[in-house]
Amino acid sequence: MKNLISLDSLTDIVSNSVGILIIFAVINLIHDNNKTFQLEIPIEHATELSPVFFISKDDRIIKLDTETIFSNAALQATSGTARNKRLFPLNYAGLLGKIDKDKGISFYARDTSNWEPFQSLDKRSSTLKDELSALNPKKQYAYFFVYDNSEDGSNIGSGFEAFRKAREYLKTRFVKTGWQPVNSDSPAHLCDRSFSQACTYLPSYLGGK
Amino acid sequence: MSLKAARYARLNETKLEISLFPFLSIFLCVMGVLSFINVLSSFSAPQKIEMTAQLEQGYKVAYQIFSLPDGIIRVPPTKHLKLLQQAVKNSKTVDQGYVEVIDEIIRQREQTMSRLERIVHSKKNSIMNAAVEPDVDDILDTMRNIRTLNEIALKTNYLYEEFLLFGIYPNGGQAYQKIRDVMTLTQDARAISIGLEPLDSNWTLNLKPRRK
Repeated sequence: MKNLISLDSLTDIVSNSVGILIIFAVINLIHDNNKTFQLEIPIEHATELSPVFFISKDDRIIKLDTETIFSNAALQATSGTARNKRLFPLNYAGLLGKIDKDKGISFYARDTSNWEPFQSLDKRSSTLKDELSALNPKKQYAYFFVYDNSEDGSNIGSGFEAFRKAREYLKTRFVKTGWQPVNSDSPAHLCDRSFSQACTYLPSYLGGK
Repeated sequence: MSLKAARYARLNETKLEISLFPFLSIFLCVMGVLSFINVLSSFSAPQKIEMTAQLEQGYKVAYQIFSLPDGIIRVPPTKHLKLLQQAVKNSKTVDQGYVEVIDEIIRQREQTMSRLERIVHSKKNSIMNAAVEPDVDDILDTMRNIRTLNEIALKTNYLYEEFLLFGIYPNGGQAYQKIRDVMTLTQDARAISIGLEPLDSNWTLNLKPRRK
């Protein structure tokens, strides 16, 4: 007579495990399908704080040192390079500029390789982190020009993810943020509010916060 | 007799053997396939964003405009308008002509929502195909209606304020900029609060059916 190993208990355990896994899978699928993301509602507010401008593109962020940029642009303008809405090098982080009577000075970001990737915010120390940390929440807020372009229609290559990360970081430091989407057709531009209504750069945040 | 008895005894001793291998293999295959499907779906299933017509923060109610590469999708709120209308009816100091104004706005908005729902049903929930080019007159009408409702609510002392909430998808900045440009042309827009949020392309819009 053969000595047969009884597989009853093993089968029992396996079938029970499979059953539980199937239930988990079904619950998980139902849960995933019903999961919705509640949008935050940041609303633009008028403010006495002064803006510090950033451009976010290709998952990278650059701070706009307006003093340097404006003095460089003034040099180009006096030398005639910036005439007739021509693009001219701003000699700042690979940015090109254009002076336009409707939009003030516009910025064209072609080469972003020298800009710092937003992942550097996770590091203990980085230039970007230092620049964001240097903002005084009682006097300043951060305003981002966020590129919405991407090659394949996804957010990869745009500045959305970088902006969200920076906003999250600044929120922990109680610094208010504002933003607007830009692209090569509607580039980032700086001008005075008295110039045009489009020259308004307001921080957005939840009411009362 | 003894031989026959011995044969019967041997037959009784023989146990019925069932091979459990096919059973186990099928179970393990099913388990593997299910796990695979589950992992796949968790990676590929797009996360939905809440796109009810009733996104609100306290008494502030969002008039949502989703900006896509092909245009915009407008999702006007309707939930509290009947209550605002009732508040106007109950008020003795407020012009009763506002009741009809609110009625007209409700009608327009329900038409907009019905159109969206029809697109959702006809195109297998692909509401992203509902985007239309922003029309200047439509934008101006929208601003005027929001301002009118906010003013009526203020006069009626009814806690209600509509604001514009823009959801910007990748490559959706163009339509947004167009709307903001149009908004600079009208005084109505200056009195309206504005919010904007960047959205990912894998966030699909979830239009919940209206409860009547």
